[in-house]
Amino acid sequence: MVDFTQYVPKKKAIFAHICPNCGEKYYPAPMVCHTCGTRRDPTGSKFAEWPVEELKGPCTLLTWTRLTALPVGFNDRYLLFGIVEFPSGIRASGLLRVESPETGMKLFARADVVRTNRGTPEVGLVFEKSKSRVSGATGATGRNPEVAAQHS
Amino acid sequence: MREVAVVGIGHTAFGNLSQYDLVDVMGYSAMDAVDDAGIGDHRRLIEQVFVANMGGGILNHQTAIASSLVSRLGIEPAMAETVENGPASGASAVKTAWMAIASGMVEVAMVTGGELMRSVTGWEATDFVATLLHPEVEYPYGLTLPGFGGMFTRMYMERYGLTERELAMVAVKDHQNGMKNPFAHVKVECSLDALSHDSESEAANPYMATPLRLYGMCPVSDGAASLILCATDSPAMKYFQKSEPVRISGIGSATDTHCVHNRKDPLHLKAVELSAQRAYAMADITAKDISFAELHDAFVILEIAISEEVGFFERGTARKAIAAGDTTISGKIPINSSGGLKSKGHPVGATGVSQIHELVKQIRGKAEKGRQVKNPKHGLAVNFGGFGNNVVSTVCSKM
Repeated sequence: MVDFTQYVPKKKAIFAHICPNCGEKYYPAPMVCHTCGTRRDPTGSKFAEWPVEELKGPCTLLTWTRLTALPVGFNDRYLLFGIVEFPSGIRASGLLRVESPETGMKLFARADVVRTNRGTPEVGLVFEKSKSRVSGATGATGRNPEVAAQHS
Repeated sequence: MREVAVVGIGHTAFGNLSQYDLVDVMGYSAMDAVDDAGIGDHRRLIEQVFVANMGGGILNHQTAIASSLVSRLGIEPAMAETVENGPASGASAVKTAWMAIASGMVEVAMVTGGELMRSVTGWEATDFVATLLHPEVEYPYGLTLPGFGGMFTRMYMERYGLTERELAMVAVKDHQNGMKNPFAHVKVECSLDALSHDSESEAANPYMATPLRLYGMCPVSDGAASLILCATDSPAMKYFQKSEPVRISGIGSATDTHCVHNRKDPLHLKAVELSAQRAYAMADITAKDISFAELHDAFVILEIAISEEVGFFERGTARKAIAAGDTTISGKIPINSSGGLKSKGHPVGATGVSQIHELVKQIRGKAEKGRQVKNPKHGLAVNFGGFGNNVVSTVCSKM
């Protein structure tokens, strides 16, 4: 029997998966390597789970948007989203914590809580200008204390 | 394979129909198609019903909708299935019906696409559509389809020099067409100056997902559309004498990566390009043979990008064609004569069926005054699912 509690995140981290045969990197992880066909099994019962690499650190902003039409469950005036590329070539979507983004700007990625869903915190990627954390910030939403200071 | 024709079409108004029942709305368009086909006394000719619907379970707490529709129409024991393929559900249902007939399994089939999205709040409707995104690496952030529309638009503008004014030209043109379509949801005439750059644009046309503004996006709509399909060599064709049949000459679909960020070039809508090529190949035509097109402009940028992927224009040049008026009703390649999703509306399960309804109406020469394309021979519909990860293209042709 599979113990699914093993998948409950133990820490705030987002991972890319690496094919153990050809080294191709994926985010999110597929069930089969698109390049060499190696199988991946998240339960580890039929095939091995693949090695992982934490997605964090320097990245480049490819495109972004400031979204005001948010779905139910988000009580912000707006949120900023972007797609970034890491030096390894892996790309990811995530929450931008930069008030005035520009395509091509250098950012730092880290994992953080991106929303709370029915009381459960959900961890995702956030992209910031520097490695320093902004305490209490959930994103560039108009509630971010750093942003509020800029607008005051 | 057998040749398949559309022999009856039906459509409800698109708009706010939230006071009605979903299956009643679908039933209205279905009976409209029965009447158009002239088989009121012979509706049991319909052997199979395919219903296109994306959100009945989430939005309306209704499932097994195809079974319900068959019973509402009193055509049991017709076979019935519901097709769910995101915003491409409509054209997928048409494709499935086409396969059922072309294979010889049935002679006559009906396709009904319908959705009631305004029975919930806008925030809930936005969340519902966002459920088609990747459940781990896109959806949890609050990302939505308009969010991807905004990011796609920014990439396109930065690469090709598209301006906000050129984006607004698409909306103005679509609303001009929608004003003349009795089924359209947003019958509002727009001026280019009001939508772009002047001091009033922030109030009248605010940013929703930068650089996309309110009038760069389709409305959230309710509505339904139906088609009746028959094999052209079937003895049943003798019953379909009332309205001119229109042939489905080509149909193709393709998929792309679920996550937009995994595409080597996110501006290359490969599934659009491939589905159109497959449809053209089946119809034995090229993009140059298409007389007009209904393209899935949930966001105005998509009308521009899709028109390039299907071969009407080189990449990055559609904006020049739009500025030159080439995509208007009297232009070289009229696009979204119905008003498109932008003005006509976008009840997601209905949209793909509604697009083919428009192709049939135009090819029959029955579109309303001021939006009838001149002597159309072949029409193309592109129904865009996800953010381009599942696309169905259909070519309809004069018989």
